[in-house]
Amino acid sequence: MGLLLCGASARADDARKLATTVCAACHGPDGNSADPQYPKLAGMEQEYLLRQLSAFASGKRREEAMTAVLANVDPGLFSGLAAYFGSFAAAPGKVANAQLAAQGKPLYDDGNTDSGVPACAGCHQPDGKGNARFPRLAGQHQAYVLKQLADYKSGRRATDALMTTVGKRLTATEAQALAEYIAGL
Amino acid sequence: MKLFLQMVLSATVVGLSTSTLADSARVWNAPYPEKTAALQAKGDPVRGEEAFVICQGCHRVGALGRADGSYPRLAGQHATVLIKQLADVRSERRSNLKMLPFADHQALSVQDMADIAAYLQGLPVPPDQGQGPGQALALGERLYATDCVSCHGQQGEGDAQRFYPRVAGQHYRYLLRENLLIRDGKRRNSNPAMVEAVRRYSDDELSAVADHMSRLPGASAR
Repeated sequence: MGLLLCGASARADDARKLATTVCAACHGPDGNSADPQYPKLAGMEQEYLLRQLSAFASGKRREEAMTAVLANVDPGLFSGLAAYFGSFAAAPGKVANAQLAAQGKPLYDDGNTDSGVPACAGCHQPDGKGNARFPRLAGQHQAYVLKQLADYKSGRRATDALMTTVGKRLTATEAQALAEYIAGL
Repeated sequence: MKLFLQMVLSATVVGLSTSTLADSARVWNAPYPEKTAALQAKGDPVRGEEAFVICQGCHRVGALGRADGSYPRLAGQHATVLIKQLADVRSERRSNLKMLPFADHQALSVQDMADIAAYLQGLPVPPDQGQGPGQALALGERLYATDCVSCHGQQGEGDAQRFYPRVAGQHYRYLLRENLLIRDGKRRNSNPAMVEAVRRYSDDELSAVADHMSRLPGASAR
């Protein structure tokens, strides 16, 4: 048991070292990335982040840069990496266009009944905090949210069939409005 | 004359679309493997609540639906009815393109269907559903008593054994929308007896009867 605990804490140390030396370059030392093309990971559930790491590593989620980085990482560290970044408080996002954000709110809360877009709030929670099943959205960078919606639409990201449907049903303006609203959550 | 009639009839049949042909050849509520499996599975309401999360974005928390009729209230509906409709949407026996991706095999397992139905059946039905304009209630009551009550019940409670939905507590606009689709042959999985009941109804009559249904008390025992 003592050995196992030692092993686990050594793993956590390895994960922390990797996080601060490799992952931090894009995602920031505390998971609050500065560059909006890279997602903020701070405040996300460990289980969700672990699922994404596994999906990048297996190629199920197509993101060449992540797959390349992870090719040299022991999958045994994924859980520690997910726990590390998820443990930080998420920094608030910056709304760039308040008018668009206001248009995004009813869409986020109620969806679009004409085109059959469900309310984002149904899964991601009204405050966007998410949970283990559905990722946190609150405060996420607009550019990253837009890229994910576009990738779901095009089929490049195929990790969730329901989000593929959502991506296809949203108009470009709706996607922008949502990204602005989410940034302000 | 007989030959002529036969020719006209066969020409009519040829002119029908393949889906209409398939629909008319179908026996209402005939068993098919997936529906049977979901009906036979033991639904777990606790698991169902978890699985229902992906439905909340449209049907809302508590499955209360929307008064604008865009999404029905599912709370308190019979599990048999919910499973039949879900299976029918998923197998495209019932036309509902908005719902289809959220009901298909990538979204739900057969066990999920049973679990969700068990969860929904046990949910409370608050008496705040959307009601109609209230201008033709006497007509609606008369039509309901004539054509609807024998299946949907005195209180709009439906019949779980016979797969007849509970209509009490449902939003007026949803009841009206589905009645129009059923009358016009666009829902596609309707009971022929139901289609026959509303076949001659005008839009105003459908509105009147939907308004009446939206005011039914429902049965306390489910």
